[in-house]
Amino acid sequence: MKILVCVKQVPDTGARFRPNPAGTWYAEADLAFRMNEYDEHAVEEAIRLKEKLGGAPELTVLSVGPARVVEALRKALAMGCDRAVHVDDPAAADRDPWQVASVIAAWARGKGFDLVLTGMQSADRGSAQVGVLVAERLGLASATTAVAFECDGQAATVRRELEGGTRGVVRLPLPALVTCQLGLNVPRYPTLPNIMKAKKKPLEVVPVAGLLDEAPRAETLRFYEPPRRQGGRVIEGPLDRLVEELTAILKERALPARS
Amino acid sequence: MKALLVCEYREGKLQDGIYEAIAFAGRLGAGRSVLLIGRETELPRFDGKVIFADVAEAGEYHPALHRDLVAEAARREGADVVVLLHTSYGWDLAPRVAAALGATQVSEVVGLAEGGYEVPACTSKMRRVVRPRTPVTVVTLQPGAFPAGDERGGVPCLERLEVPKAAGAPLMGYEASGPKPVDLGRAEVIVSAGRGVGKKENLPTIAALAKALGGELGASRPVVDAGWLDHGRQVGTTGQTVAPRLYVACGISGAVQHLAGMKRAEFVVAINKDREAPIGEVADVLVVGDLHQIVPAVTARLEETR
Amino acid sequence: MDATREIYWNVGRGAIGPMYAVALVALALLGWGGWRLLATWRKGRPVARLDRLPARLAAALRDLVGQGRVLRGRGVGRLHAALFWSFLVLFLGTLLVMLQADLTEPLLGWRFLQGGFYLGYSLVLDLAGLVAVVALAALLVRRALLARRGVASTPADWLPASLLLAILLTGFMVEGTRMAATELSGAPTLARWSPVGLAAAALLAPLGEGDLRALHGALWWGHLVLAAGFIAVIPFTRLRHLIAVPASVVAASQRPRGQLTTLDLEAEGATFGASTAAELAWKDLLDADACTDCRRCEERCPAHTTGKPLSPRRLVQTIGHAARTDPAASLVDAVGKDAIWSCTSCYACEDVCPAGVEHPGKIVELRRHLTLMEGDLPGDEVRTAAEQVEVNGNPLGYPPGDRAAWAEGLDLPVAGDGTRLDLLYFAGCYASYDRRSREVARAFVKICRAAGLEVGILGTAERCCGEPVRRLGNEYLYQALARENVEAIKASGAARVVTTCPHCQATLGRDYRDLGLDLPVEHHTELIARLVAGGRLPLAAAPFTATFHDPCTLARQLGVVEPPRAALRAAGATVIEMPRHGRDGFCCGAGGGRILAEERLGARINVARAEEARGTGAPLVVSGCPFCLAMLEDGIKAGGGDSPPRARDLAEVVADRIGGGA
Repeated sequence: MKILVCVKQVPDTGARFRPNPAGTWYAEADLAFRMNEYDEHAVEEAIRLKEKLGGAPELTVLSVGPARVVEALRKALAMGCDRAVHVDDPAAADRDPWQVASVIAAWARGKGFDLVLTGMQSADRGSAQVGVLVAERLGLASATTAVAFECDGQAATVRRELEGGTRGVVRLPLPALVTCQLGLNVPRYPTLPNIMKAKKKPLEVVPVAGLLDEAPRAETLRFYEPPRRQGGRVIEGPLDRLVEELTAILKERALPARS
Repeated sequence: MKALLVCEYREGKLQDGIYEAIAFAGRLGAGRSVLLIGRETELPRFDGKVIFADVAEAGEYHPALHRDLVAEAARREGADVVVLLHTSYGWDLAPRVAAALGATQVSEVVGLAEGGYEVPACTSKMRRVVRPRTPVTVVTLQPGAFPAGDERGGVPCLERLEVPKAAGAPLMGYEASGPKPVDLGRAEVIVSAGRGVGKKENLPTIAALAKALGGELGASRPVVDAGWLDHGRQVGTTGQTVAPRLYVACGISGAVQHLAGMKRAEFVVAINKDREAPIGEVADVLVVGDLHQIVPAVTARLEETR
Repeated sequence: MDATREIYWNVGRGAIGPMYAVALVALALLGWGGWRLLATWRKGRPVARLDRLPARLAAALRDLVGQGRVLRGRGVGRLHAALFWSFLVLFLGTLLVMLQADLTEPLLGWRFLQGGFYLGYSLVLDLAGLVAVVALAALLVRRALLARRGVASTPADWLPASLLLAILLTGFMVEGTRMAATELSGAPTLARWSPVGLAAAALLAPLGEGDLRALHGALWWGHLVLAAGFIAVIPFTRLRHLIAVPASVVAASQRPRGQLTTLDLEAEGATFGASTAAELAWKDLLDADACTDCRRCEERCPAHTTGKPLSPRRLVQTIGHAARTDPAASLVDAVGKDAIWSCTSCYACEDVCPAGVEHPGKIVELRRHLTLMEGDLPGDEVRTAAEQVEVNGNPLGYPPGDRAAWAEGLDLPVAGDGTRLDLLYFAGCYASYDRRSREVARAFVKICRAAGLEVGILGTAERCCGEPVRRLGNEYLYQALARENVEAIKASGAARVVTTCPHCQATLGRDYRDLGLDLPVEHHTELIARLVAGGRLPLAAAPFTATFHDPCTLARQLGVVEPPRAALRAAGATVIEMPRHGRDGFCCGAGGGRILAEERLGARINVARAEEARGTGAPLVVSGCPFCLAMLEDGIKAGGGDSPPRARDLAEVVADRIGGGA
């Protein structure tokens, strides 16, 4: 059995973002990067499956991006993946989800993966498209937003998180792709011997040039901070006015209740 | 410009999101038709064309089949834009439809901007304006971003869509998530109580506000330490890290451990008697006053206007 | 007649053979038992604790003979010291008897126990015996009283003092019977030099000589058997500390207090930390035998005294039990994870231990095993914090780009700007991001400027010093952070460093040496005290009252106790001490990486400490550590809302008294 895990390296979301000079994405200076949290759950789930199936599956972790993404790949290897593929794309930030999915699909095609796992979305772009698009391009069955996952080697049973405290139970014959929601599992903390071992695991670098055959389908015109939090508004005064203003603000900001 | 608006139908019920899609199409100034994979007995209140496929044949969740139905309807209608809500149904289906139509997908649209769609980025800390480069665009709308106004009304004219035979449906059924520790991490609205609530007996007041806003009750560390609430509701580095759309901090001064746990909230309202409390630095709105008077009054107002 | 006595009076020289036979059996048992102890210790990992042996021996001799460690415990320490010194005298006296009776007299015909020397000898030994009897009696009474306080004693606890008392009492009886039969009538002047023996003799005098001789013979042999028995049971009872404590003191760490071993992370096939007794160092196993169960560590342990499942004493004894029975058994199970994670690394246990036991190092080894080998941490919150340190370089999860935001408007030189820094201020995570500690940082800069000192900062190149994660066992993350900091500090060209956090100070100044940084690192309270003493800081002193909370790392690891107090007094303070202060100070609860963890077990340490501060009646509790400050503020609020005291850093107090402002 062969399993592919696709991970993205993203800035820590605690960061303060500033637009790049072109105003199309964030400037990378002063940002701290980490593995996309959703993808960490995908890595963990793949490793658990490998452990459950007696170590038989081979786990490949793949990431598209500039040289820095190797750190995320190393972490996945330290957690327990067997080999890593770095699709080296210095301009990855300019690719749209369609292109990224096409690159991944172009690499994975014909390699016989039985299962592809990835996060349901990234913390920075948050399009929630790449996973499904990879499945569509490879002709795999797929399901998104997994909060529980089982696999017997023939088929996968996925519990999808739906709105309002409900789960949809979905069964996919392999080969299939599943995108992982937060809370699917608790990603492990890599042990030191595994961190050291990870340094010796194979990490293949593939230039993006041979895999990228699609033009972008969308472009970013502007990237900016939404106008808010201008030092915060202070409301003081008599009680009835406070109540009046606060009620209005809360109504505006709270989601309309879904029925 | 022509828009195809896709209904969501779940557990035997038409979901309300379609009215937001209708409102959005109105904002776009596009011609509107609706696709319903549902039941003939439950139609959206909409004065226009509803393309109808029977859920008994197509299932509530059958991605490949639904993809083909939406794509077929979009082609038939000559839609320039296909609209879904950014929900577990929408984000699952939209990329498939986009791939089938050779279209761009723009996810979680929150607004219309010059030249394109406005979408959030970096956990809503930033925004992007995206311009599609394909003739057809699939968009998913952030729920609540295009509130439905008085669109609900009218009698649709129905047009049937044949459901092709498909391989076995993947959906095996639904189940409740069941009782589990409160997951504040994904709550959209959180109302948190801090030491300023004074005593355990005051907590129901805060909980009532949380309920009125459709949110979860959270707490700062001192409240949990005091045993007024269990640890499952603690917000902060030592509790849960949260990123709600709206965070209401009641009587929380803003210890660094707490701030670190809620600083990813999109909009922060603080109610505090101390104007200088550190929470004021991260609050978008700081209400200076006595929360024991303010909170019950606001809760009552919210409940009466629902 | 020359003052002396017949050594084998009454028992005769025929007793020498059997006497030595008994002694040999005792010594053989001692040797065998000692060998077994040694074999147990050798089950541990090698560690260089016998290097520079002459210096170690000299230091140990000074400490043991001086009873320095023992005397840290006031009452019982004095009793032990009195006992130790008197037995030292008795031992030397007995050695002299043996020397004369069995060596110099039979072989050379030389007797030295006579004349004036013998008189003095008699008196000194008699008095030493008396002191020992009194001390032992007091110890036994204390033990009986302990039972009333709920500290149960086992027969093993009663044995050492009881046995020693029996030896002394039979000794005096032997002397008394001999004197009653001889000196009392034959040499009354001589008898006066043995006052205790004389008293015993007076008591026994009514007996006739025949009875006295019979009684003396029986007592002599009884005394001998008791003494031999004492020697024989040393390795098998708590008395083994007579061997193990000197060994432990000789093998004591000669590195600065609190310095951990820097692990070689690249070592092939290595395991890290310890999960079994066999994975600990031999000194750790030796420590278990040195422990006398005296409970001083327990009484001071912030975890133990607030009802957490950690007892440093039990930890050490659990290790000892494992070393003796099954050195490959899991210590993590035997000690318990909750106990392992409860330690605040305050070093009160190690500091107070009379036996030279090093407790915190053992905890760190167990934690290293858990974090490095099992990826285990005390809770999700700690895991998140550790990840934040890894990603953002600080446990609070703030962006590294904002690290210097606290200094906005101060126009401080930043390393890398092309400026060469002389004095580098390593702000640390709390001063960089925590609103409260930022005020401390700004106050400190104000002080430096008032004294004409220009401090520079590393700006966004600064990372967490790594101390909290290291104390939690994550040596890997610590070393990664340390290497970045070492590089940045070296590149800054700074000649010296100052911090407002003792954890940063200890880490930079002491621990980074292993990683190639060799710069003097000062705590801001030391610098401020120096500036004040040197008259470089114009203070408008105004009288106020304050108590000082000693940060554990500052007082017990770095030995800085007086400077902050001196600075406080210079600012006009009357310092009221808390019952536990200085080297005996009580932790705030945040050390040992606990600042990152939720305190789920027992009572809260910071509340206990805040109450102690409140008890002084001082309106102000001053400290010099951002962790202490956060914990004290929290503890004060939890215990009494807005009522005093108020917690402040020394820098804030001093900065307030600088005229003009900066």
